[in-house]
Amino acid sequence: MKPPAFAYRRPESLAEALDLLAGEGGEARALAGGQSLIPLLAMRLARPALLVDLQRLPELRGIEASPGLLRVGAMTRETELERTAGLPGVVAAALPHIGHFQIRSRGTVGGSLAHMDPAAEWPALALLLDAELEAASARGRRTIRAGDFAIGPLTTALEPDELLLSLTVRGADGPFGFLEVERRPGDFALVGAGCHRGRVVVFATGGRPQRLPGCEAHLRQGGGPGAELRALAEAEIDATGDVHVSAAYRRRVGARLVDRVAAAAA
Amino acid sequence: MRLLLTVNGAAWEGDVEPRLTLADLLRERLRLTGTHLGCEHGVCGACTVLLDGEAARSCLTLAVQAEGAAVTTVEGLGGPDGGLSDLQRAFLAAGALQCGFCTSGFLVSAEALLRDGRRRTREELRELLSGNLCRCTGYEPIVEAVLRCQR
Repeated sequence: MKPPAFAYRRPESLAEALDLLAGEGGEARALAGGQSLIPLLAMRLARPALLVDLQRLPELRGIEASPGLLRVGAMTRETELERTAGLPGVVAAALPHIGHFQIRSRGTVGGSLAHMDPAAEWPALALLLDAELEAASARGRRTIRAGDFAIGPLTTALEPDELLLSLTVRGADGPFGFLEVERRPGDFALVGAGCHRGRVVVFATGGRPQRLPGCEAHLRQGGGPGAELRALAEAEIDATGDVHVSAAYRRRVGARLVDRVAAAAA
Repeated sequence: MRLLLTVNGAAWEGDVEPRLTLADLLRERLRLTGTHLGCEHGVCGACTVLLDGEAARSCLTLAVQAEGAAVTTVEGLGGPDGGLSDLQRAFLAAGALQCGFCTSGFLVSAEALLRDGRRRTREELRELLSGNLCRCTGYEPIVEAVLRCQR
């Protein structure tokens, strides 16, 4: 369980970081808090030639929480957010589910988004809240909508030389539901679901967080929680099984969670 | 790569490979073997240290990421004369250890929780301490020891 050898740089400016990421023929990886990347290195599932440590980049820090708007720099640690007043309720409710407190002290918003574990909370929250994700490379900047960001397990719309700068959500206040089934508090979810302003998202079910348009239409047309919503969700959830639970478990428990988060958000 | 950090109040400077974890730096270079390595991928919590006052997994931190940081290990929890801290004494009194392998991680995690001064319920502590595994399953006396320290 020891990482393979790699080169390491700790740039002091965003421009320097982007040049480093562009310069290794796609073999450089950004290092945020390391809470997901370092296990991948230790298990030798990733073998980057160069790690670019982002901790000294002021452009990637900072939290702006005002009514109707939340903007979070990519290198913001989850512990910093937990200590921030005025967060939208759904974000505050999701934070304690992110690993254990010893992980949240190092883990970052941008690191989790860019890593894209299908069971992680940030990609699901981003989709649920229709977040705008700002990315930069030496070629320029662009904004990626959350719906276009997560592609599959450990795969996002970010190019190898691109860096995530921030997450912005608007109108994230208001009633919500957010629930997970996990083996221990802080473990990765076996199944998770969220509901906010008519959007319904499940995660830890398949390769990436999934919106459930059929369930959303049902809610939009005035249908409430109940057997009909559960049946719609169970049919709609695109689930895979693994060593922990089966695909059928994820569909059935996911449908129950959808029912409960819809009731909480009503 | 040149590295400078503070460990238990004393400055340490040396050359390290970038792939060296903070846990291996502490154990093998500084011979601070109170920090234990169980799973080496962030699940068991045995390697927990304070990094600038926050509990963190030293197996999930590269030594070079801790450049300029202040690290406190289990060896740094006691008094300068080698005496035990209140928390360590509470662990002894409650019988909160059997084989002892997980103890340093629990002590450091609990220390981080006690430092913010918030009084937590038994249920809250059970949940917060779920990031440390005890294979002797002695969780009850561990939670009891932390509860006693809050009083």
